[in-house]
Amino acid sequence: MSTEKNNPVDHKMIKELLDEKKSKMKLSLAACASCSLCAESCFMFNIYDQKPEYMPSYKVIKSLGVLYRKQGKVSRQTLEKMGDLVWKNCVLCGRCYCAVGIDIPEMLAFTRMICRSQGVDGVYPHNLGAPPAECEALGSEN
Amino acid sequence: MVKSEIKSIEEIVDMIAGYKKVLNVGCAGCASVCLAGGQREVKQLNTKLQFHFKSNNISTTVDEYMVERQCETQFVESLKGRIEKYDAVISMACGAGVQYVAEHFPEIPIFPALNTLFIGVNKEIGHYEERCQSCGDCVLGLTGGICPVTMCAKSLFNGPCGGPQKGGKCEVSMDIDCAWVAIYERLKKQGRLDNIHKIYETRAWKSQGQGTLTLKEYQ
Repeated sequence: MSTEKNNPVDHKMIKELLDEKKSKMKLSLAACASCSLCAESCFMFNIYDQKPEYMPSYKVIKSLGVLYRKQGKVSRQTLEKMGDLVWKNCVLCGRCYCAVGIDIPEMLAFTRMICRSQGVDGVYPHNLGAPPAECEALGSEN
Repeated sequence: MVKSEIKSIEEIVDMIAGYKKVLNVGCAGCASVCLAGGQREVKQLNTKLQFHFKSNNISTTVDEYMVERQCETQFVESLKGRIEKYDAVISMACGAGVQYVAEHFPEIPIFPALNTLFIGVNKEIGHYEERCQSCGDCVLGLTGGICPVTMCAKSLFNGPCGGPQKGGKCEVSMDIDCAWVAIYERLKKQGRLDNIHKIYETRAWKSQGQGTLTLKEYQ
């Protein structure tokens, strides 16, 4: 189901995937009241000095929100930035609490699925998980 | 986390023999962390399977999909609307994940690509050691953080037996440390050797039979 990393982004595929859950996801995105309760429940937000890019609402709005707004017509660079948001800034622990009942983990998992469809993956651990020789070539972030 | 390792390609090929459309479902949880069933491993397995099918003129196709955690209802349900198009599914999750997917989609045969091994720790990437057998009656507080169920060859609660060898090795094998020698040394460092002088009653190993846990707040 995925396109390889170096292929052009398949906007049609992204649009089809977005359409699978369009009504629920768009409603969820519209319902966000920016109350930041989800941020309070996110341990990543709390341990990373409460930086906005770790807020669950931020992660969703800046990834899935952008995908819906642009109807899937995003560049690979944009997708990779989204990949950083939904993988590096989130472990999908499911702790995020929303006062209006938005299912944030579902939205993040959905975004990950869309990224994977275009060859943008989260690899555990980031840049590692490959045998040592490959790690040296790639460069480690740790 | 749960540690697993991938089965041989021969075993996997054998399991899906005769099916025409197969979906290989990875797991981004524990299986991914121990490099057994994550995104990378799904692609690697699919490459091997496709090579096998092409080399043997077999018309089976195999697609890929990732589930964040196959042991979690919310994420398993993301397979709805997708899994029904396939005759069979390979699951690259641990045994719990395989069973959960099978339970949610009982009409479709689900085949495990992994052997689930143990609950263990990551000593370093690619090197995992068992630490827990989920006996359901943890005594780690008494034994200085060393599990006699997992680390003792006889799972003794009132060790050691009469067998420790020179160098603190187990009589079962000189490659195995005697857990109770290690427990003794640990408790000695902590000034808690009194623990080892007590005799503990036989424990009820609650892990026999399927376990369930419902938190009080969710009853």
